[in-house]
Amino acid sequence: MAAATRTDIRERIEHEARVAGMRRYNRPSIEAVERRRLQLWGVTITVIVAMAIATAIASLSRGNEVSWLQPGVLRLAVIGLALGFSAYAIEKEIHLHRLSRLLMDERVLSSALSNRLQQHALLTAAGRAVNSVLDLHEVLDLILSSTLDLLSVETGSVMLLESEDDDELVAVAARGNNDVALGARVQLGQSIAGRVARTREPLLLSGKVDDELFPGHQTRVPSPHSAMCVPLVNRGQLLGVINVSSFGERTFDENDLQLLCVFGEQVAAAITNARLYEAERVHVAQLLELDRTKSQFVASVSHELRTPLTSIRGALSASRRARDDQRGELLDVIDRQTSRLSAMVEEMLTAARLERKGTMPMLRRIDVAALVRLVALDSQVAGRPVEVQAPQKCEIRADPESMRRIVGNLIENAHKYGAPPVRVVVEPMGEKVLLSVLDTGSGVPPAEREKIFERFYRSERTATSRPGIGLGLPIVRGLVEACGGSVWVEDAPGGGAAFRVALRVRPMDEQEVEPCTAGLRS
Amino acid sequence: MHGRPKVLIVDDEPDVLLTMRMILEAEGFDPALAADGETALRRIDDEQPDIVLLDIMMPVLDGWFVLAELAGRPRRPRVIVCSAKSSDVDKTRAFDLGADEYVTKPYEPDDLVARIRETLSRGARRPARL
Repeated sequence: MAAATRTDIRERIEHEARVAGMRRYNRPSIEAVERRRLQLWGVTITVIVAMAIATAIASLSRGNEVSWLQPGVLRLAVIGLALGFSAYAIEKEIHLHRLSRLLMDERVLSSALSNRLQQHALLTAAGRAVNSVLDLHEVLDLILSSTLDLLSVETGSVMLLESEDDDELVAVAARGNNDVALGARVQLGQSIAGRVARTREPLLLSGKVDDELFPGHQTRVPSPHSAMCVPLVNRGQLLGVINVSSFGERTFDENDLQLLCVFGEQVAAAITNARLYEAERVHVAQLLELDRTKSQFVASVSHELRTPLTSIRGALSASRRARDDQRGELLDVIDRQTSRLSAMVEEMLTAARLERKGTMPMLRRIDVAALVRLVALDSQVAGRPVEVQAPQKCEIRADPESMRRIVGNLIENAHKYGAPPVRVVVEPMGEKVLLSVLDTGSGVPPAEREKIFERFYRSERTATSRPGIGLGLPIVRGLVEACGGSVWVEDAPGGGAAFRVALRVRPMDEQEVEPCTAGLRS
Repeated sequence: MHGRPKVLIVDDEPDVLLTMRMILEAEGFDPALAADGETALRRIDDEQPDIVLLDIMMPVLDGWFVLAELAGRPRRPRVIVCSAKSSDVDKTRAFDLGADEYVTKPYEPDDLVARIRETLSRGARRPARL
């Protein structure tokens, strides 16, 4: 529209210049027109004065024979000429005056357009800069500094929703002394930013803000002279808002608001990209971590396979050289080490099954106290003594095979990574039963209390000194959760680690009552 | 070397100790056992074995500690590292600490015996690169 107006003005300038007799100028300047106007006035006055003098002289000269030179006729002719010239001069003056005004208009328009062009150049440059950065914090800082540069103000902030379903805006970038603090939160619908976010309509405010219009708005001291807030929306998804405030002479107008809206559209895409990049980076870090733990798992497994194989090979080689009375002992070695290999394979298969979550536990009514006593006995036989503190009877609904693995793994874990004496305590607690395995070792540092339940995780403190493939505790957690319970580790009273398993006592179905040792084929 | 060469077997796995002891005895060596690094260092001091079969991953003090400890001594036995750790990084580290041989588990016992003999028959031992 501005371009059309400009062309129209140009055409009219050319027309007026032609009419006003300034054809030799391609584009007359205001100064040239003013000079021409002065010249015109000068010539007009000179001509009128000359005419007056001529009339006076003609009146004084008498006795002329020629009738048309008679004073009366001459006067009339001079007055006629003067009037004609004046009409010509007035006509020129009108056109020159119009030309001068048109040139003034064009100059104003050019200057405004050049300002706008400069703003757009800044806008494009800022948009390009913002879109060339992928780090979210850098993007937000750049957005804010570009906004403030673009509008020549010093105070502003960017507020974002932390996620799509969030109903609170958080200030993630802020500049100036009088704007929202970094980390400040505003509910959707509340205050100016919250309202703009909810309605997705940009706002231009001048003077004092009406608190009734914006519930929750806190008037700042000193309050800004003029302010704008525009929503950041990308592909229909609300991301947040940009706020800018002016405390000086600057009063924002519709053009500024439009400019900020266009900028807002550009930067919303940049924020989305930066967030995607951030998410991708986290994902890659997770994959690298997974890759690292898998490599560690392969190393642990190969180590754990090599050790029993070394003993088996040794026993076979020794049996070729052994006396008859030594052979029984060597067969025992082979038996022990093949059992160890089978147990490890079984552990890996269980972990894989639990990961697929394809197997549902067979929930039955079992006496967990009796089960713990049985597992403790097995453990004792295997050289891992355990003290048991449990009531005479304590029934829960769980999968007996899973429970046996849970208690067995926890006892083995306590002996392997903790220190004896190891105690297993069963405490009925209303709707729940708490099963604890306590040792007197050095305990588990708080930073590792969740990690030790992750598959393949091996603590750096014990990875080289204790055998294992990092599956024992993950299997415990998988089985406990499949039975509807939870497991965690804390400090045992008096030192050491306390592994706690909380299991729900589910409503009993009398149809399913079976002896507590059902499924316990040890 | 007089009489049967003394071999100290260091491993935290009782079955490895048991089987290697039988094999080495049958092969004419004089085996002694240690299940952790601390016992190994004590028995090296007390019994001065000709050669040590050293596992790396052990409780109390691991094989790296034993190697480093031996590296600082003017007189020390030859060492064959017998470990399930098979990476080049571990092998290089062991040789840098003065190990004479590196055998990866699971090894063939006859092969290990041959290496023990070969190591014992070598001349002056290599200095450790510390």
